[in-house]
Amino acid sequence: MNPLLKAEDLVSYIGLYTILQGVSVEIHQGEAVALLGRNGAGKTTFLRTIMGLVNTRSGSIKLDGESIVGKPTYEIAKMGIGYVPEDYGVFDELTIEENLKIAMWKEDKPTLEKRDYVLDLFPDLKVAYKRLAKTLSGGQRQMLSISRALVNENKIILIDEPSKGLAPVVIERLALALKEISKSTTILLVEQNFALACAVAERYYMIDEGKTVDEGTIKELIEDTELQRKHLGVI
Amino acid sequence: MKLLNNMDKKTFLALGVLLVVLSIIPHFSKLSTITLISRIFILAVYGMSYDILRGYTGFINLGHALFFGSGAYIAGIFFTNFGNNLVVFGMAVIVTVVFCSLAAYIMGKIVLRGGGVIAAAMITLALGEIVRNIAERWRSVTMGADGLPFKIPDVFRDRIGFYYYALIFLIIMTVVLRQFILSPTGRVLMAIRENEQRAEFLGYETSKYKLIGLQVAGIASGLAGIMFGILNRFANTDLLSVQQTLNALLITLVGGTGTLYGAIVGSAFVNAVQNYLLNLRSVHPIFERWLLFFGAMYVIVVLFMPEGFVGLWNKYMKERRTKKNTKAIEKGL
Repeated sequence: MNPLLKAEDLVSYIGLYTILQGVSVEIHQGEAVALLGRNGAGKTTFLRTIMGLVNTRSGSIKLDGESIVGKPTYEIAKMGIGYVPEDYGVFDELTIEENLKIAMWKEDKPTLEKRDYVLDLFPDLKVAYKRLAKTLSGGQRQMLSISRALVNENKIILIDEPSKGLAPVVIERLALALKEISKSTTILLVEQNFALACAVAERYYMIDEGKTVDEGTIKELIEDTELQRKHLGVI
Repeated sequence: MKLLNNMDKKTFLALGVLLVVLSIIPHFSKLSTITLISRIFILAVYGMSYDILRGYTGFINLGHALFFGSGAYIAGIFFTNFGNNLVVFGMAVIVTVVFCSLAAYIMGKIVLRGGGVIAAAMITLALGEIVRNIAERWRSVTMGADGLPFKIPDVFRDRIGFYYYALIFLIIMTVVLRQFILSPTGRVLMAIRENEQRAEFLGYETSKYKLIGLQVAGIASGLAGIMFGILNRFANTDLLSVQQTLNALLITLVGGTGTLYGAIVGSAFVNAVQNYLLNLRSVHPIFERWLLFFGAMYVIVVLFMPEGFVGLWNKYMKERRTKKNTKAIEKGL
């Protein structure tokens, strides 16, 4: 089966600095894959490169067999890649309702059903539906950001460190929600929180110094404490 | 109907009272006051058109007067060459809409290629000056720096009658521009204003939306220009100048950037103050230099009241609503 998203020997740069120096990742339809690595390993840059927000020097990225390198960000998004950035990326001066409406490309029945699905998944958003995004807690903003990526028929969702800055109890709720989402959506999850990554993903890729250094199933990683210590600093 | 449904009873009542007051004002006012208020109505539309750009897309257009002045000139040229009747007025409106739409398209295609806000401001400034220079040198059509006086259709000659036309113009344009802001396109413009990159990764080609915003603003500005030309029965190159663009900027700043209605308050305030200062000329000649006071006003507003009058009011109301909602949620929990 052809992979849904395939990045091969990806090299990307910001200004004078080459950040990714050979990242290769394959994600198949329906999978939940975690991208792991220490701080500064290049995980966020990888997601931003996929979205066309960081320049690619060489290598390829294909979605459903079609190259997306060099395409503008809006076209990549329209091709079916939902992006949940690490700073949530919500519009602070708009309400939850307006944030969701902007994310919806259409207001047809399937899209409205998806909106209702995310509001059921995150009841906090339903309660605060008319509130400005800037008045929400970090957890609620994260829920809103994920919801925006879910309201369209996206083929894959890229989620960047959803647990960042959140309280443990909120992370637990988020893990449950992401697990639920992964049943119907393909996910590429960048995460520092090992427990959350293990709760959501089935496979992982390890990135270090801008290169893919390891891959396997999450089960294997859980059993290999030496690898966890080496790449993630998990003791 | 949707517009009325969205309004609460208090707002509806307040607007009704305001409309009644505005309708009877001409019967109790001097001609100079009637002309001043007509000017306020027209410049409010001009301010709103600038707010669509500055307030809703974050785009600084220093050549915005290009559209306003063109509207006035097109009206003047048409009335002078084809007769001063309503059919010609209709033709002038159509030509202004087409011209402003095309000019905005060309301006957008040049400016929205990238380069940032400052580059855009500089390029639009240059484009505005090019058009002003063309108007100044094309004497056979525009009468150059002397300006173009023209006759207007009879129906607009009566100052009181024109006051009502200006009021109707303001109401129609407010409704149209408000509906534009509330439309899906308007929502995207608001998203762009807040964070362009975020709007892009949601799948929106932001330059296309900015271009639409620029065209809508250009057309609204051009129509305001026609009305302004008719009010003064005169068009000159000052209407195409940077000073005229800065007037729009001041109107939106004082009223509240990104509020739309702020331009109405801003126009009333700026024009009333300008009129008051000019009337003080007999007290001291410094008041002839009213621009000095406007410069000071600009600095004060930017430093101490960046949200403007309506912006401050909206902020207060939003905070009150948020507190109310939070309390309701806490009670529910």
